Amino acid sequence: MSDIVVKVRGKEYIVKTDRRYTETDEWAKLEGKIVVCGVTDYAQKELKDIVAVELPQIGRVVKKGEEIGMIDSVKATSTYYAPVSGRIIEVNKELESKPELLNQDPYGKGWIFKVEITEPSEYESLLTPEAYAEKIQKGKH
Amino acid sequence: MPKIPLYEYYIEKLGAEPGVFGDWEVPMRFSTAIEEHMAVRTNVAFFDVSHMGRALLKGPDVIPLIQYIYTKDLSKVKPGFMSGPTLALNEWARVKDDEMLYKINDEEWLFVPNALAREKMLNYIRNTAIAKGFRVEVVDLTNTYSMIALQGPRAVEVMESLGAKWAGDLKPLEFRLNEEFNGIKTFLVSRSGWTGEDGFEIWGEHGEIRKLVEALVARGVKPAGLIARDTLRIEMGFVLGDHEYGEDPVKYPCALALRYGMGAITWSKKGFVGEEALRACRREGLRWIRIGLKMGKEAGRLFPRQGSSVYVDDVWIGWVTSGCYSPVLNRGIAMAYLDTRYAILGEEVEVEIHGKKLPAKIVDFPFIEK
Repeated sequence: MSDIVVKVRGKEYIVKTDRRYTETDEWAKLEGKIVVCGVTDYAQKELKDIVAVELPQIGRVVKKGEEIGMIDSVKATSTYYAPVSGRIIEVNKELESKPELLNQDPYGKGWIFKVEITEPSEYESLLTPEAYAEKIQKGKH
Repeated sequence: MPKIPLYEYYIEKLGAEPGVFGDWEVPMRFSTAIEEHMAVRTNVAFFDVSHMGRALLKGPDVIPLIQYIYTKDLSKVKPGFMSGPTLALNEWARVKDDEMLYKINDEEWLFVPNALAREKMLNYIRNTAIAKGFRVEVVDLTNTYSMIALQGPRAVEVMESLGAKWAGDLKPLEFRLNEEFNGIKTFLVSRSGWTGEDGFEIWGEHGEIRKLVEALVARGVKPAGLIARDTLRIEMGFVLGDHEYGEDPVKYPCALALRYGMGAITWSKKGFVGEEALRACRREGLRWIRIGLKMGKEAGRLFPRQGSSVYVDDVWIGWVTSGCYSPVLNRGIAMAYLDTRYAILGEEVEVEIHGKKLPAKIVDFPFIEK
């Protein structure tokens, strides 16, 4: 599956077609009953210079849209949210010492947490790659 | 809102991220702030600092006027040299602005007010000249010239490669007027900057500065934005208006509490604005003092921001004025005002970040070895 590349004002943002997205720039990838979550290429390019990622507690039960933690960049702090409801079963500990992974590989090594999903239908209601690509295109003016 | 003259060029041609600083539209970042920061520390980079004010003071009474306005004794400055930074105070000994002055000759001096203070300072100086009967004309050159700061250990080499063979002979804070190199006519070249590194600041008409920028880019000199400029000044412990100082005596301690250093205040000088309050502040002792905070390992790279609270145990002892991630130290650093009773160098305190209290150590400036 090839990626969607969104070009806005000379900048390129990658949208992977193997996962779903939120309005708040998180991605969610379904692997069986588990949803891997992170922030998008667009989000990391907006933040740049990421210096810290606040990770959630393992075992925490979260609701879709709930605030999970903060991402600090040299310039700004932003919040990221849970794309789906469920229990957090794993967090990416590597981000504690290497928060720059979020900049380097947002869809791979920069994943943030994994959720055991309670409502599989929630995943289906997330933005499709095409819809998210359109959101980025429209969002930048 | 005004844009700095080469704004479009930076955004369109060099891909800069736009932002606002001091009421100007400016490039905030070209690549990443951390890369730009490290380029200045270890190599070389350039900033467009045209958002800062540039002005000329002209007339037979310039020296008495500036002796009245600033806290430093400016009577012995040699022509062709900058002096400062020094402080312009108000009657409460709070800081209006910190500035560099450039002596061309006794009757012609340039000065560089900070972006946010420009109009205020120009009006203040004009009004003061009239009120005190000083024969001084104030000419705003901000829109006449653009200004580039070339900063980093390789700055001399870059200047020489542009044909300015004399650049390395300039002493710190020395400047030259009307030099031409590489087909670029400059108005002023000084050996100065605000990053803690060697470097030059170059003023010229906008078209000439555009040529300079193109020549720098062609030589592979990295452009740097104002985020990196901020993290560089914080690493050096340099102060900024609306962060470490301001005119409001409720929000800001007196100028002495800044521990400005660099000879900004000459105590033997008499008769400058704010002197009485400043001496009173010295006699009575300080309630607050500016110190550095270096975050502990536990904080990772988290850093406090302006307004973060500082504690020992559960006692609130002060507030953060500026903070950033230090790329050199790989830690969060901050400047803060602490209650002087608790301001013990080397001691541990706690700083609140995202609602959590994290350990930090009280340190002196600069944060990095220079």
